Formats: sequence, structure tokens, C-alpha cells
Amino acid sequence: MSDAPRSARAPAAGREPAASAAPLSSAAPVPSPCISVCRIEPASGLCEGCLRTLDEIARWGSMSNEARREVWSSIHARRAGRGPGSDTAQDAAVAAAGGPAS
Amino acid sequence: MKPLPAGLRFVERDWLSSNQVVGIDGAQATVVDTGYAKHAALTVALMRQVLDGTGARLARIVNTHLHSDHCGGNRALADAFGCTITVPHASAAEVAEWDERRLSFAATGQRCPRFAHDATLRPGDTLRLGGLDWDVHAAPGHDPKSLVFHCERERLLISADALWENGFGIVFPEIDGESGFDEQHEVLELIGRLRVEQVLPGHGPMFGDVDAALGRARTKLAAMREDPGRHARHALKVLVKFLLLDVGRIDEHALHERVSDAVIMRRAAAQIGMAYEDALRWAADSLVAQGLLRREGDLLVDA
Repeated sequence: MSDAPRSARAPAAGREPAASAAPLSSAAPVPSPCISVCRIEPASGLCEGCLRTLDEIARWGSMSNEARREVWSSIHARRAGRGPGSDTAQDAAVAAAGGPAS
Repeated sequence: MKPLPAGLRFVERDWLSSNQVVGIDGAQATVVDTGYAKHAALTVALMRQVLDGTGARLARIVNTHLHSDHCGGNRALADAFGCTITVPHASAAEVAEWDERRLSFAATGQRCPRFAHDATLRPGDTLRLGGLDWDVHAAPGHDPKSLVFHCERERLLISADALWENGFGIVFPEIDGESGFDEQHEVLELIGRLRVEQVLPGHGPMFGDVDAALGRARTKLAAMREDPGRHARHALKVLVKFLLLDVGRIDEHALHERVSDAVIMRRAAAQIGMAYEDALRWAADSLVAQGLLRREGDLLVDA
């Protein structure tokens, strides 16, 4: 059993800048997109929670920060591609993780 | 941080599911720890993904310790890949009998599909993983029976919940009225003596600055010793949050019923000095105040 009151979703509001805001030093840790949904949607091949592919989830732990920021960019692009107005689990979860795409 | 040796993979998960370390040895692969039951389908898919193109099949699971977030995928992986399961020797009897009380699942209100073990590991053994030899060390503290694995040649440590980048797991024996802080202290000293340049923890990202992590862990441990009630409050909140990560949302009364036999949670409440249901409500209120849960009428919802 782990120790995690400040768990998966806690830093949610702080995640967006890691992926999209301007000042990114390569040393700054890039937070994991995982929000503990951890279910692959068969049609898209993406996690319903974080919108990552299986490959991105599998490699995240050993990725460079640069590669992690690229994954975050892909997540935003996928979310934007899905468009507003749907209330799927993905949208709700991603909104919780990063707020609406802007 | 330097890249991992060619035969190793590190799959970072979350707080409900432990991370996985995968070692490839020719045609056979081993995974260290398997996450929580709720995420087992993803864990199976991740193992396929990690091993795709390597020519290896998942042949073995090794568990650092038998908490539900580290062995909850054992059954699903064994069913999917036909792999064997190796557990800490000290836990073998309760696995064989599937004694849920001694296995901690009942005591924490958590769940874990039953599995059977094929082999055991004990301190002093050598584990072959990813083309490397790993020394098996006892790491009591968070769990009296936990193991950690150290690779002298590559200066790597698979630390389970004995050391994270920012802390370590709840010291469960102390909640149970037994000694754990001293043991956790000794584990931190042990890790300090080992040559370690990179840690593959049970939760959170891989990290390289071991001395800084040990410093933070020692500070946290000192604060726990100073005020065991604070450790108990922290533990109860962690356990309530974990349940909500598992179930997503639950009526608060249903939550209280669900954990009515969770001995560890009851003992944490007793250490805090509150009646059990009052302590559970306090924990929920605190988590809501921290933004980690929210209330919707009578429902508690993971946030």
C-alpha cells in the first residue's frame, strides 16, 4: 500500500504549464499525465484518462524531459481534436488534469 | 540521468498501482511488482507492449512485498502469460493459505485477486534480472516482509516503498502497535551504505540524487517519531484516498460499512484518539479540504 494523499490527481491544476506554458528549463521535472483512470479505449488505443498511447505510457518512466513534453503536446492535440461538448470520461478526466485547452 | 542497462525497463504508474521494473534475460522476462487489481488489464497490455519485439515472453513475476498495489496484477498476468510467481519467503505461508487477515488486504479495506506462488526469495539471495545480478535485502519498516533489490555493478536499487524520491510508504507496523520506525531507520541507513546512483522506486519517477532523497526521508521519519499521531492521521487519510481511487465514488455510509472490519484503519483512528466513524469523517473532510476528494450530497467522489 502506498503513501499518497498528494496523489495522482493532486497536482492536476499545476500540470498544464509543464506541457504548454513558455518557460521550460530542461531540468524541470515534467509531471506524469496519469490520473489513475488507466483504461485503454479500444477504438482509439488511448488511455481514457490521460489520452496517452500504450507505448507512451510504457516508455514514460525512462523518457527524457524533452520527450515527455512532446507527449504532453500530443495529449493537448488529441484533446483539441476531440472537440468540446462531449462529456466522455476522457474529457472529464483531462479537464480535471489540465483544464480546458486554450 | 543515465539510461538504464539494455535489459531493463521501468514502467512508471501511479499511486493506486505500483511501478513495474521489467528485466529481459534472453527469451524470458521478469516483472517486479504488478500494480493494483483495478488496473490489471492495463498492466497486462503494458507487459505486451514492453516485450513486443524483444523476443522475450513474460516468464516470471517477482514481488517486493505483498501489498495490494504491488501484487494486485499477479493473477491477471499469470493467467495472460502463464508466468510463475515469486514472493518474499516470509510471506509464503499466508499466500499459500490465502489468509486475508495476515495479507493486509482485509485490514486495509483493499482487494487482491487470489494467486498462488511458485517460488520464494529471501534476504541474501541473488536475483537475476535484465542480465544483471541483484542482491536481495530485507527492507522492514513500511512492511516487515518487504525486500529491495540492489545491483552493485550498475549501482541501481529497486526500492519498493522503502524509499521514494520524496519519502517512503506508511510505516504500517507502527499503526499495528509494533515497531516500525526503528526498522525504517535501519533501512535508510542500509541504503545509505549501498552504492546506489539510481533508484527505481515502487511509486513515482526514477531518481538519481539518492543522498537528497535519504535526507528527505530521514526528516520525515524524525517527524513521525516526534508525533506518532501525525503518522496515524496521515495513514488514515492515505487509506481513505486509496479506497476512493479504487471505487471512484461511494456513499459515505457505505464507505464506513465497507471498512468496518479494516483493522489497520481502526487502529489508526484509535492512535489519533477518535471514535472510528468520527476519524473517517475527519479524514474525508481533510481530503476534501485538500482538494483530493469532493462531496456530492452524501457521496464522496475522488477528485
